[in-house]
Amino acid sequence: MFICGPFLLDNDPYYRFLSLMGELLLSTLLLPMAGAVMVGGDYRRARRVALITALVVAVMAAVLVFSFPAGSTAPFAAVDVAWLGTDAGPIDVRLSLGLDGLSVWLFGLTALLSVVAVTVGWEAVRQQASLYYRLLMLLQAGMLGVFAARDIILFYVFFEFTLIPLFFLIGIWGSEQRRYAANKFFLFTLAGSVLTFLGLLAVVLWDYHHSGTGRMTFSIAELTEHLAVGPIDPGVQMAVFLALFAGFAIKVPLFPLHTWLPLAHVEAPAAGSVLLAGVLLKIGTYGFLRFALPLAPEAVVTAMPWLLSLSVAAILYGGLVALAQKDMKRLIAYSSVSHMGFCMLGLFALNALGTQGSLLQMVNHGLATGGLFALVGMIYERYHTRQIGDYGGLARRMPRAAFFMLVLTLSSIGLPGLGGFAGELLILVGMFDRAWAGAVPAGWQMAYRVFAVGAVAGVVVGAWYMLWLVQRVFFGPLREPEHRSTDETTSLPTDLNARETATLAPLVVLTLWIGVWPSFFLDRASPTLDRLTEPVQRVLERRQTEASGCHAHARVGMQVEVANMSTQAWTWHPENENCRYPQEVSTS
Amino acid sequence: MTTQTLWILMPEMALAFTAVAIYLAGAFVASRGIWAWRAGGGIVVAMALLATQSVQAMAGPVTGDALALWTRWAALAVGLLLVMMAGRNREPDAPEYVGSLLLAVVGVMLVGTAQDIVLVFLGLELVSIPTYLLLYMGHGGPAPQESTLKYFFLSVVASAIVLYGLSFLYGAAGSTDLPTIAARLIEGPERGAPVLGVAEIGLILIFAGLGFKLAAVPLHFYAPDVYQGTTHLNAAYLSVVPKAAALIALVRLVVEGMPGVETSAWRIAMAMAAVTMTYGNVVALWQTNVRRLMAYSSIAHGGYILIAVAVGLAAGKGGSHPSALSDGIAAALFYLAVYSVASVGVFAALAFLSPRGKQIDHLDELAGLGRTCPGTAAAMAVLLFSLAGIPPLAGFWGKLCVFAGALNVSGGTGGLHPWFVSLAVLGVLNAAVAAAYYLRIVGVMYFRFPLGTPRPDGGPGSWTAMILCTLLTIAIGLHAGPLLRACEKASPEDMNAPPIQAQLESD
Repeated sequence: MFICGPFLLDNDPYYRFLSLMGELLLSTLLLPMAGAVMVGGDYRRARRVALITALVVAVMAAVLVFSFPAGSTAPFAAVDVAWLGTDAGPIDVRLSLGLDGLSVWLFGLTALLSVVAVTVGWEAVRQQASLYYRLLMLLQAGMLGVFAARDIILFYVFFEFTLIPLFFLIGIWGSEQRRYAANKFFLFTLAGSVLTFLGLLAVVLWDYHHSGTGRMTFSIAELTEHLAVGPIDPGVQMAVFLALFAGFAIKVPLFPLHTWLPLAHVEAPAAGSVLLAGVLLKIGTYGFLRFALPLAPEAVVTAMPWLLSLSVAAILYGGLVALAQKDMKRLIAYSSVSHMGFCMLGLFALNALGTQGSLLQMVNHGLATGGLFALVGMIYERYHTRQIGDYGGLARRMPRAAFFMLVLTLSSIGLPGLGGFAGELLILVGMFDRAWAGAVPAGWQMAYRVFAVGAVAGVVVGAWYMLWLVQRVFFGPLREPEHRSTDETTSLPTDLNARETATLAPLVVLTLWIGVWPSFFLDRASPTLDRLTEPVQRVLERRQTEASGCHAHARVGMQVEVANMSTQAWTWHPENENCRYPQEVSTS
Repeated sequence: MTTQTLWILMPEMALAFTAVAIYLAGAFVASRGIWAWRAGGGIVVAMALLATQSVQAMAGPVTGDALALWTRWAALAVGLLLVMMAGRNREPDAPEYVGSLLLAVVGVMLVGTAQDIVLVFLGLELVSIPTYLLLYMGHGGPAPQESTLKYFFLSVVASAIVLYGLSFLYGAAGSTDLPTIAARLIEGPERGAPVLGVAEIGLILIFAGLGFKLAAVPLHFYAPDVYQGTTHLNAAYLSVVPKAAALIALVRLVVEGMPGVETSAWRIAMAMAAVTMTYGNVVALWQTNVRRLMAYSSIAHGGYILIAVAVGLAAGKGGSHPSALSDGIAAALFYLAVYSVASVGVFAALAFLSPRGKQIDHLDELAGLGRTCPGTAAAMAVLLFSLAGIPPLAGFWGKLCVFAGALNVSGGTGGLHPWFVSLAVLGVLNAAVAAAYYLRIVGVMYFRFPLGTPRPDGGPGSWTAMILCTLLTIAIGLHAGPLLRACEKASPEDMNAPPIQAQLESD
């Protein structure tokens, strides 16, 4: 039933266009794989092949992103082929790809950052270069696949597959503790994701036994549809949610499961850090949005207070720890913990504003932090140290680097007009809306308000450590570490060259674009986001009704009153003042 | 004994004949290099004979049902890989070696075709006895001899235990014919409980004896010493052939032959699975000898197979629309196949890398292989990732089938069965633990500097086996459908309706 339309309506130009887009999407996945097979020779040839591949994929991804229609929830550029089916058996695993308003942005982000990842190691990687670029392209294919997959097994295959190339990238081209970091990264992620896998399998099997179709479907869209009608048993839902949480929270990473992240970031080569921070962390939040919210809404609502507590803890803890760092990469790594905490906060505010802000923050964090890691990599290439204390006044030596650093920093701390502002603002508004105007479980009212205020404090801390970093490294009297470049031709470290400028420029342009015109993204994203959060909204409304019904019954004891309030709650709307009424009843 | 029986047994007879001919001719022909080729020829002939057969169930001591056909194809394929690896045998006992290998393959094939407990036992012994020879011939020196002796004594005891168990089975049903036994056991409860009690004693003994071959805890303890003390080829053999024989025998004897005792059976299988995989994986973390590490890994994989067996015993085919994701036995067969390919491949790679007159023992000897032998290192990395169950390799689908089966066992009202869910959770956590030591090998190969120039001297046979296994692992990973379907077809019919519902109510 999800076979793409063009076969049915061959002559309709729009369907022809969609089918063309599907082929384009498939090519974006196959091209890096083909590149990985073909790459070879010395580092010059290898990096050229990798760059051309990444650029072509980025252009194709841009075409997909820009032709994505606004206001649509239908899968865009869908490709669907049977993969693992059996003659008479019920198994129906499909090679099913497509983009929607959530995945298309992360897909585009991946394609863009892949180009950055290739150019950032352009000169630095000489050893085993063909293997390096091979792994980089495989990683790219895996990441694109994660966001394009519309089948649970396919998603998981890509999800796990991304671990292998990154494991090698960290382990072979990383710095001193690279072996430990590679192992820790791999095992931490794997330990969580195998549980996630069980959770997803449980959902599939539940659907198989209860949908009555007699088919064991792995299609995410179909499962979402079925479970919206007949949700999973609440007890099982909690188990499923905990299983999903194990994998995705480690991936995000949510405090206190973040310990693998600083290590992996610090030890990884620049390209690894860029992709890890820019793309791979988003798989966690993407997973929550894609799977946890629509498939286990009851459990999400039950767990909401705890998830919000952890998010705020991540924001504040990540920020405070970042303040204390002496290593630039470590600092940015902890800032990722904090910023991803914002994404989680927005997500689990469980309202439209919050999820929209969360998505914007995901993209923006990818651009800003990816860019910052690339920039640190460029500085490291010149001086071979990442210690903040070794630097000072670099703006005199490298004005262009200082410019990019400042813009990316400002975006990251949420200066109005840059991407970070749009994301953080929406997240905070979403959270305040939840704390002061939304449905809050009994007894958590005060805590929610504290969370909202704590998140604002997190923004302040974020500005503090980032600006302080820029001040220490780029301003003040010039202080350079002893120059230990392996390249004899350059006597003094120079400013960013054309390649490096071209690497960072698109990131800055895009972050500016998100900041100035966020509605371009939100128009296209919000229908999908609304659909994904719809089951959760329904659960919230129902609990609201139940709570109000209960209290009214207890306090007033009049059936008429109960009936009245139920109808009010069923037509509940964020702007409606009545929605607070039951809470006041419960707290008074 | 009809002509049809003989016709079905043609491949086995051809292979046994080849083995005997090789034994005899080896005494007269001086050249040592040709025996592997002869043995390979015998296997190809047996495959050709097998290809003429289709699925044909029949009464009598042997059957040609789907499971029999699957087992024999699998045994011949593994035999071919092992014979390839044996090509570089320069010892004077080369003919005896490959001959014994062929006989062991015949043993597995016999277990697969047997419909009679005597014949099942005969097949198991035809696996055991050549194994003693293989282990003894593999390598000179005191350590191998000690490990061979250890294996011999324990294996003899295990065989005796199986035989004792089979005698109880005979006592309970009064027949050696498995379908007859099954039919009588189903009637059992009406004829009085004591009969079933006897069958349960038999069941425990059969599990114990076969557990030895499967290297299941607590009967695993020979494996690390024996693997460490023998050649890579023998280790490859041990990690696959006895396990296959044990699994098929379990299916024939317990799943098909003993309906009515599933409640006890799945509990035994589950307990063994949980302990076996956890013990194997955890202890493997501390190993530095490659073969010892792989021994613990093979113990752990035996545990995963036992999960699937427990699922098969508890839930039968898993509903009206059976598939490899619900049918435990199909999952076990699939898991066995993908595990075998990867395990043989890893040992083939190690055999290929070993320099002349010496074997790779310590993990450190693999250091820097990613630079010095990139092809072999890549092949080995693929095989190890498959063993770890990382997609998109074959091992992933094996784990998918096993864990989906466990989650699919329904408890009470169609929800999850708490014991099986716990088992699945334990299983996936084990998979994560297992990844740690597989990654350690990969890390040694890729992240460390070479300690010397490797001088691979395993010969083209080992290399070919390694490449074949790697390609198979990738191919099954990308297109698991055909093998899954074959395993689904091979899974035996339910003798009796899925019993777990009734048991839960009675518990």
